[in-house]
Amino acid sequence: MSTPAAINDIGSAFTDQTSPRSPIARRRRNTELALIIMVGLITGVAYTIAALGTNAEIPPGIVVFVAILLGLLLCAHIAVRLVARGADSTLLPLAALLHGIGFVMITRLDDRLAGLQATWSLIGIFVFVGTLVVVQRTNDLANRKWIFFVGGAALLLLPMVPGVGQTFNGARIWVSIGAVNFQPGEFAKIALAIFFAAYLAERRELIAAMTWKVGPFRLPEPRYILPIIVAWGFAVVVMVGERDLGSSLLFFTLFVVMMWVATENAGYVVIGAVLFFGAAYFSWSQFSHVQLRVTNWINPWDDPLDGGYQIIQSLYGLADGGLLGTGLGRGNPGQVPEAQNDFIFASIGEEFGLVGATAILMSYVLIVGAGLRTALRTERTFEKLLATGLTTIIGIQAFIIIGGVLKVIPLTGITLPFVSYGGSSLIANYILLALLIRVSDSAARRLNELPDDPTTSERWQAWRLSRRIRKAIKRGEVPSDFVGVVS
Amino acid sequence: MNRSIRQLAFGLMVCYVVLFAALNYWQVGQKEELDAKFDNTRQILREFNRPRGSIITADGVVAARSIPDTTNEDLDFAREYPTGDLFANVTGYFTKDFGSTQVERAYGDVLVGSTASQQVLALVDLLEGNVDNSGSVQLSMRHDAQSAAKFALGGREGSITVMDPNTGAIIAMYSNPTYDPNVFVGDDFEAAQQAITDLQNADGNPLLANAYQERYMPGSTFKVITTGIGLETGVLSRDTVFPNERQYVPPQTNDPINNYNGSECGGDMAEVFRRSCNIPFAKTAIELGVERFVEGTEAWGIGEQIPIDLPRAATSTIGNVENLDQTLPLLAIRGFGQSEDQMVPLHMAMVASTVANGGRMMEPYVVEATFDNAGRELSRATPDVWKTPISPESAALETEFMIGVVESGTASCCVDLDGDIQAAMKTGTAELGVASNPDLSHAWIIGFAPAEAPRYAISVVLTNVQSTEDVSATGGRLAGPIAESMLNFLLTGEGAT
Repeated sequence: MSTPAAINDIGSAFTDQTSPRSPIARRRRNTELALIIMVGLITGVAYTIAALGTNAEIPPGIVVFVAILLGLLLCAHIAVRLVARGADSTLLPLAALLHGIGFVMITRLDDRLAGLQATWSLIGIFVFVGTLVVVQRTNDLANRKWIFFVGGAALLLLPMVPGVGQTFNGARIWVSIGAVNFQPGEFAKIALAIFFAAYLAERRELIAAMTWKVGPFRLPEPRYILPIIVAWGFAVVVMVGERDLGSSLLFFTLFVVMMWVATENAGYVVIGAVLFFGAAYFSWSQFSHVQLRVTNWINPWDDPLDGGYQIIQSLYGLADGGLLGTGLGRGNPGQVPEAQNDFIFASIGEEFGLVGATAILMSYVLIVGAGLRTALRTERTFEKLLATGLTTIIGIQAFIIIGGVLKVIPLTGITLPFVSYGGSSLIANYILLALLIRVSDSAARRLNELPDDPTTSERWQAWRLSRRIRKAIKRGEVPSDFVGVVS
Repeated sequence: MNRSIRQLAFGLMVCYVVLFAALNYWQVGQKEELDAKFDNTRQILREFNRPRGSIITADGVVAARSIPDTTNEDLDFAREYPTGDLFANVTGYFTKDFGSTQVERAYGDVLVGSTASQQVLALVDLLEGNVDNSGSVQLSMRHDAQSAAKFALGGREGSITVMDPNTGAIIAMYSNPTYDPNVFVGDDFEAAQQAITDLQNADGNPLLANAYQERYMPGSTFKVITTGIGLETGVLSRDTVFPNERQYVPPQTNDPINNYNGSECGGDMAEVFRRSCNIPFAKTAIELGVERFVEGTEAWGIGEQIPIDLPRAATSTIGNVENLDQTLPLLAIRGFGQSEDQMVPLHMAMVASTVANGGRMMEPYVVEATFDNAGRELSRATPDVWKTPISPESAALETEFMIGVVESGTASCCVDLDGDIQAAMKTGTAELGVASNPDLSHAWIIGFAPAEAPRYAISVVLTNVQSTEDVSATGGRLAGPIAESMLNFLLTGEGAT
């Protein structure tokens, strides 16, 4: 009669609420807490200085502001501490720093937008916490890859639906349902990254095998790569159709990078580059709005009052900022159209100078570093690819818009992750961050840096199971689905 | 897969290094070039969005101030000049589209509060909730004296400069033609551009301050300098006597030099000075020779920019001195202030000041003090000697000669101060020698009063005046009464202190 004892063991293992100690996890979380408090103070000081610079007075609600800010950041931190305590300690503080600096710049540029952005920040943090709580196992994502495929495609298509889609600044990327406006593309990129990662994790060997002979070339079996081609083609065609060149470039890069990493075949990068430049040349020769972008990129001073105005003003702002910046609230970043949005990096460069703008660049470099380190650490293919994909989205998106602002590449409208004004962008990036933290935590558990505690839902299921067993034993029945477990 | 991920990390790193390089390129490498682009208005926008302090006269009248700009949404402040054209040549202007000049330019850092001492003081004020960091500039010039100068000039082309010979402080400095800066500091770009273009094309360069940014042939007022050089070198003394003569033929020519109006002129040093004979000073220049004459004029600051605390002051000159020893007649003529001699009116006031101040020429200044927003003094002008061209003995002697000019010389007609105050003056009538209009002259007078304890030095010039059959346009007759009225106003009249 050893059965009841065994059952109790199983039950207690799953229902025990006190996690075993883990010095590594505790150290990471304490580091994160210290960094988060620093970010809160930096943001609070910047907020005060910006108000002094613009309105010449200390903001009346500064104490409330800092309290709410620290409160929100602590919410996010506590969520990580509870459900992802093994995760990298720098990801959340870095994102919070970018978010904080961005919020201060937006406040300094436009009081009205600041109120809205505050609401978005609140929602963003709650969505971050929600994502961490809901997605406790990365397999939950991989198992639903087709949902993400269909969902991602639907989100991409949504702006093209008549009556729902809205055209703004020449790009049809907005959706308006009732009072809610959002950019579904921001969420589609995450959905597609999850799909790519899950699909490639399953089929990467088959794809890498290159069993399809076409003349002298060996190509992957068409049926294995078809869904990816469809997903990618969908994204690119829709994006070009919606005239959102920045997002189109982002999707393309994401696709190429994930194929390359999954197959370890650098040929995809070469093919991707050839395809990209071919497509770029084609759209340049076919579309006047693309030609305009290129012309304004090569010499904005040919049309200084119209096409080149934005980039010229942005460069003047950067130059005016110089090494140390004009000081928060002391410059004129409002001269640049869309300063709070695509051009917020120029605003930061103007008022924080080279030093501050470099700090922003470094923050992205560190996020990319932490993200790819997570990809290297984890042993599961899906997690590797997911971390790579999500990191690439942030790294490349920031590069595309900062490169555009700095005249390194032609300007394409796209938001600067965590920094730019906008609810869709902020919320989507917090979802992305939560997933990255989830992968990081998962990797740490796999490496036995902390015990792989069961998740709340696993505990719940285990508790229900053990209760059923106890009841059955009390009644003297042996439940049918339990027989297999004990015997 | 790890290899690919590491390569990806490297690739992204390269991307960000490129961004960092581009950031450096724009913010550091190209900074100056971009800042200087003609359509770059950052600098100006920033300055117009900060409070800018006032420029105030010595007697407390506001000559320039900032007022809230309610019509332009880009700019928070507009500049206003309540005294119109009265101080335009000193305050200058501060515009969004056409730059800035004079005190507005030279003291821009004080006015916006960006000097180091203001920044430090601002930190303390910040804690008290005061973040307006602008400073103010107090002029040494007086509104009443400036108004009197404008009135005395009466719209005629020329300038009046009054200074304290002992310190170099400028009391009044007004010139015609001038301008009202209010016409082009407004928000209406088209109107402002039209106004400033009209001023740029107007006769007489109204945008330039004639008193210190232009120079004119000095005529006989230059004899104060020639006499000074002669006395210092020993070529002249109190006892030097020149024969009575109508003509003098200098070396290397057959063309004779005449006195004014071809008169016969001569006598001892005091007499040739007060009657302003030309020939004695031509002879003095020849006797000095090129080297001593040039060195002597340099000792008076000729050939050097006037060290006033305003930008772009002019430089007085005696013209081209290369090969002057081959053209001695030109040297002779320059000895009495004709030919290529060109003196800045302010410099002539400084020449008079030198005689008044025992031979010491003070550096002129218009800004007496600067203050921060809370009224704390940031700086105060300290009198500095610029040149010492003559000894106190020579200065005393020249004072004697200049008193003679007022008592029984070329200014006796026209300068007789109220209250028995003795003035010491020297007149000048610079014949411009325009072939089509031989009677065109600049009428000058320089001097100081009271002669025994000088308080004010003055230079007055009326430019391009025309002699008529009834009235010859001499410095004594035209400029003399102006100097007289100014000195009366300051010493015994409404402006007496």
